Amino acid sequence: MSARFEFRGLVAGYGGTTILRGIAGAVAAGEVLFVLGRNGVGKSTLMKALMGFLPCREGAVRLDGREIGGLAPPERRRAGITYCPQERAVFDELSVADNLFLTAPPGAAARLAPLAERFPILARRREQRAGTLSGGEKKILSFVRGAIEDHSLVLLDEPTEGVQAENIERMEAVVREQCAAGTAFVVVEQNLAMAERLADRWLVLDKGQVVAEGSGRPERAAIIAHIQV
Amino acid sequence: MDPLVTTQFLNIAFGIATLAVLALGLAIVFGLLGVLNIAHGELVMAGAYAAWIVQSAGLPYALAVPLAMLACGLLGWLIEAGLIRPLYARPFDTLLATWGLSLLLRKTAEAIWGLGYKSVALPLPGTVDVLGAAYPRYRLMLIVLCLAGVAALAAWFAKSGAGTRIKAMVANPDLAQAVGIRTGRLARNAFVAGCALAGLGGVMVAPLTPVHPFMGIDYILESFFVLVVGGLGSVAGLVAGAGIIGGLGSLVSAVADRTAGYTAVLVIAILFLWLRPRGLLARA
Amino acid sequence: MQKRSVTRRGFVAGGAAILAAPVVLRHARAADPFKIGLFYAASGPAALFGPTQKASAELAVEQINKNGGILGRQVQLLLADAGGPPAESTKTAVRLMVQEKCDLFVGSHDSATREALVGTIKARVPYIYTPIYEGGECAPNTYVLADTPEQQVRPSIDLLTKEKKVKNVYLIGNDYVWPRKTNDRVKQYLTAGGGKVIGEEYVPLGAPNKFEEAVTRIKGAKPDAVVITLVGADNVNFNRTFAGFGLDKEMLRASMLLEENTLLGIGAENSKQLYNCMSYFSSVPGAAHDAFKAAYKAKFGEKAPQLSIIGVDCFAGVYCAKALVEKAKGTKAADLMAASEGLTFSTATGPVTMKNRHPDKPMYLAECEGTNFKIIKTFDNVGSGEACKQA
Repeated sequence: MSARFEFRGLVAGYGGTTILRGIAGAVAAGEVLFVLGRNGVGKSTLMKALMGFLPCREGAVRLDGREIGGLAPPERRRAGITYCPQERAVFDELSVADNLFLTAPPGAAARLAPLAERFPILARRREQRAGTLSGGEKKILSFVRGAIEDHSLVLLDEPTEGVQAENIERMEAVVREQCAAGTAFVVVEQNLAMAERLADRWLVLDKGQVVAEGSGRPERAAIIAHIQV
Repeated sequence: MDPLVTTQFLNIAFGIATLAVLALGLAIVFGLLGVLNIAHGELVMAGAYAAWIVQSAGLPYALAVPLAMLACGLLGWLIEAGLIRPLYARPFDTLLATWGLSLLLRKTAEAIWGLGYKSVALPLPGTVDVLGAAYPRYRLMLIVLCLAGVAALAAWFAKSGAGTRIKAMVANPDLAQAVGIRTGRLARNAFVAGCALAGLGGVMVAPLTPVHPFMGIDYILESFFVLVVGGLGSVAGLVAGAGIIGGLGSLVSAVADRTAGYTAVLVIAILFLWLRPRGLLARA
Repeated sequence: MQKRSVTRRGFVAGGAAILAAPVVLRHARAADPFKIGLFYAASGPAALFGPTQKASAELAVEQINKNGGILGRQVQLLLADAGGPPAESTKTAVRLMVQEKCDLFVGSHDSATREALVGTIKARVPYIYTPIYEGGECAPNTYVLADTPEQQVRPSIDLLTKEKKVKNVYLIGNDYVWPRKTNDRVKQYLTAGGGKVIGEEYVPLGAPNKFEEAVTRIKGAKPDAVVITLVGADNVNFNRTFAGFGLDKEMLRASMLLEENTLLGIGAENSKQLYNCMSYFSSVPGAAHDAFKAAYKAKFGEKAPQLSIIGVDCFAGVYCAKALVEKAKGTKAADLMAASEGLTFSTATGPVTMKNRHPDKPMYLAECEGTNFKIIKTFDNVGSGEACKQA
């Protein structure tokens, strides 16, 4: 596989504690990599490290063969990475429209049009403060904001938390379309069903390390064995 | 209306308008960076000296505006790089560092210009008739310019992309970075702008007061009260704070005397610190 | 000592000792200077005056030492900062008395510090207080050269009521003892001269004061004159605001503490119809003052600190110390107090004579001309109005 995005030997943590203890993974253009595991094993920390919020003590991060481990988050965004965080996913004080177009590149409005049809809530609430949305609606807003950015890699951290089933299906459809256009995805998700439907690769984390990995759709039983205590 | 009452109303407007601009730089820096720049008053002082230099050189007074803003902005750029950024997210250390800086700036001014008072002549002398009251031309101009300036800033902050990015940075700095906002650069620009505005404030007040190395202390105190009362992070809060502190001070001084006016300001500031420490219009 | 026959050797040694004695004594004197502790504004709100205070005292010390010092002892100046809180100054005074065996204090500072120092020194060391003050200091072994309200106010009010035909007067000052005591005297002389006070207000000392409201009130009260007992930056601010509102053309102003630095701050365009009566201006005429100014300039050069009443008072303070100690032939309190009556000593503008431990002095009435003081009238030998009993 020629990797769109790969990371190797990542060691990172907060202050004196180490959370990630040598993690490696890779995803090719048009593929979806799922990062699975129980709560508190370092999945969100990995996403923060990949976006540059957390400096890595060791390891390498490459995007299209270019080492980006030293770049700050805004520079990673410019390098083509989109990040939709698990928590505080939108700007509560800003309107829905401002959330979408704050730093949107040219052409974002055109890319939004089909998405706005899929998620009509955004158009209805366009001028409202994002803080008034429900948790699931904020997730949709965050996802769509990411989807209209120009990117070669999208990092989604728990994108479906609190989102209704029909909207999860619509999100999956968007992921598939963008994969077809060559974008790579790294997704952290509790929702195993989504992984079963979308994953091209997967890895399971435990205690800051990769304890299982594979390609293709993951076997539910194999995953659950790792996820259960 | 009795011309004297008109004059006192204009005095109140003058107190509010000038205080809003003097506190503006401090509010921007505190609101956006979480840094209470104790040296703000000394930057006002630097701006006032710039005005004095321009006038002493026989140049038109308006030239002092860009010169002071440039000089104070440059100073702000150096302070941000040397003092603020290395102490990022350590508010108490920043407080101490900027306090030390204020002493240094005062002593530097003393070493260059001495402790003596410098006099800056009014660029616009004389009075003008306002509803039967003869009001000083320069003060009237300041009222108009300050109110227009603050209104323009409020509009810019509400409507412009840059204003929205600033709001985003303050509300959710991590997400702001994730969507590509270079918050470090934005914070530096905000600090530089705050310092340049302090310089503008100095040019504004220079013809009204004696220019000397210790003049900054008066301005940091009142500006700080404005933040205490108004709360952080909105132009409305700034205007409310300046309105209450400047307006109350002027109003009580007009009705009673300056001692009562100053006492009222202190009491209000203490009450706010005690009962409403986030201020009147703080962001949620 | 043991009785011993005078040997030749002993004789020689004794003779040598006798011959050497004056040398030894002179050494003892040189190692034992006359120490004057100078309390001045090295820091704090009055620090503006510090350089002049220090320079003036140093000039006096240099001149006195060239002429044999005080009672043959060279004068040594010990500098003490009186710019902080009074408690700091009293600590310094104790250290100077105990460790340095200071012979005399000269102080140029505010009254709060003076009162604290008087209470600490307790007359053990003579203390000469020099600037401008509200009167009433009669503590033993304390000598006050400062201008008193009697000396300042009478000439000012005479000018207003007699020459300028002023009837209604507005008073504005900082809120502390000197302006209030001075204004008591203003009211007394104003009533005697047929005028009256139609408004009186005080602003806090050390607060960030603005004067738009007070000036508007004065405008409404329409007095013929305003008597100002504001100090420092407040005095500058008020006068600039006053002129900014155009009142400088409509009424007179008499300030009670307006020296060269303050007038520079007020600015040439704001000093119309502004009068002032004090015992010192750098423009006072006379041979003694010319000589003082020449010596000051020679010692400190073109960039010498600005001469002003707060500053040159320290020159008089040091000269007063010399005259007092030499007349009393020592530093015993009772002798000094007796010697002070009728004592004549030099000041920057010429000799003055002390009565009741306050000198009678010439007072100068000045009118501001731009940033200069034009002396329009001189009053010779104005009494202090203080009646300190001899202890």
